[in-house]
Amino acid sequence: MSQLVEILSPGFLLRDALVGSVLVGLVCPLVGVYFVLRRMIFLGVALPQLSAAGIAFSFVGYRLAVGAHEHGNVSERSLAMLGSFAFTLVGLLVLTAFERRGRETVEARIGVTYAIAAALTILFLAVDPHGDAEMVNLLKGDILATTRTSLTLLEGVLGAVVLVLFAFRKEFLLVSFDRDLAVVFGMWAGLWDGLLYLTIGATISLGVMTAGPLVTFGFLVVPPLTARLLTRRMLSFSLVAAALGGAAAFGGFYCAYRMDLPLGPAEVAVASLALLVAGALSGIRRGAARLRAP
Amino acid sequence: MSVPALALRDVTLGYEGRAVLKGVTFTVEQGEFCALLGPNGAGKTTLLRGMLGLLPVLAGRIEYGIDRRTSPPGYVPQRESLDPIFPLTVLEVVLMGTFARLRPLQPAGRRQHRLAAECLALVGLEAIAKQPFWALSGGQKERILIARALAAEPRLLLLDEPTAGVDPGATVAIMDVITRLNRERGLTVVLVSHQLRIVRQVVRSVIWVDGGAALKGSAEELLSPERIAEVFGAVAAGR
Repeated sequence: MSQLVEILSPGFLLRDALVGSVLVGLVCPLVGVYFVLRRMIFLGVALPQLSAAGIAFSFVGYRLAVGAHEHGNVSERSLAMLGSFAFTLVGLLVLTAFERRGRETVEARIGVTYAIAAALTILFLAVDPHGDAEMVNLLKGDILATTRTSLTLLEGVLGAVVLVLFAFRKEFLLVSFDRDLAVVFGMWAGLWDGLLYLTIGATISLGVMTAGPLVTFGFLVVPPLTARLLTRRMLSFSLVAAALGGAAAFGGFYCAYRMDLPLGPAEVAVASLALLVAGALSGIRRGAARLRAP
Repeated sequence: MSVPALALRDVTLGYEGRAVLKGVTFTVEQGEFCALLGPNGAGKTTLLRGMLGLLPVLAGRIEYGIDRRTSPPGYVPQRESLDPIFPLTVLEVVLMGTFARLRPLQPAGRRQHRLAAECLALVGLEAIAKQPFWALSGGQKERILIARALAAEPRLLLLDEPTAGVDPGATVAIMDVITRLNRERGLTVVLVSHQLRIVRQVVRSVIWVDGGAALKGSAEELLSPERIAEVFGAVAAGR
């Protein structure tokens, strides 16, 4: 209990990390809702890995084009952000373009993307001999190293993502649920898809840089899947998913702090526990309904 | 003479540059109730999608008697094309129809909710507005999708096999709703169907799609027993 009070106190040493963690936990599920509804869950694995490859590539590219760079400063984070966002967005656009035209299965394309991205990440790291450890921290998403500056960036970008998702939720819903109807209504479905992908790309890039690929994927997918079991309306689906993500991030942070566990895996474990409980409750409810049926 | 609701002039439609239907020419008059019929795979849905602007016209042109930007057509898709993973209530589905006349950033307000409720009442399902859409029977879902199409306040309604896979009682209820909308509200209706027996009782004209072409005529002429035996005999012989 005293540790909970300590975590909540304004002077808590890791306050920025806690706020960053909860922000990622709140916003990733809002984006993840569309991953689940558009049946793009596997993209949630491949894109964070692509984002990681983008971070590694940006350093190698800088080193080859300009020269050795200094690690651990703000410009390095900006460089990483640029690489991460570019790789995520391009990967997302290419994969979705293939989804409409390609003949192979979606899983095959995403699997290949994941394998290539993972291999490239390691290769790019191997090419840059300087500051290997620093880059590994960025790739893993060193949330405990969150600074005031990176938190401000996180708040700004994720705040914009939330605004876009809520302001255009009717357009995103229509192009996701019934694209043909959106076109019949004269909406530019491609434009709305593009805007949605832009918000997904920004969220994943920042999520990976803040919390790493594992946590980002976990929060993109697990809270929306849990919320899907508990809600029957679109708006409540999004809000419950975000609330579950935020709560799991806070719960995971508390467990990690109290039991001296690695933060990311603790957060994903707490989110997954909520999914298991919701799944069990949903199963019991369905079983009871079947028993009551004549 | 009034402007037709829809006019196709020597239209070619297909996929990836390959023509499925060629030289299609006909008009659908304002207030007409028209069935789009033909054997499986003949191109009925292709023609409907072309009329909706969902397929690019490879040749010829399609003219609308209405301004599609201010009065988009009502569209009822095949319900299997919609994914049950979306957690939606009946009201949320019907409200989507009102998005046709809302600008970006403009949320569905009181007027849109009232309109959605009226459309639900028109299909006789106002009592189930808060129920989950996916928990309904096939026939109820189809009527909800008709209500959604009506919420766009269309003058032209296009439906893709609304009675496919529903029981006979629900089929009668769906056809009754569509017939009423045509007779009482003057809505122009184009309906894709397989069910000749049901359709011939209600429509005045038929677009017959077969062999890469489409022919429009009166229901009496194109749905005569001799004509049906001729077409289906030819199809059966082709197999």
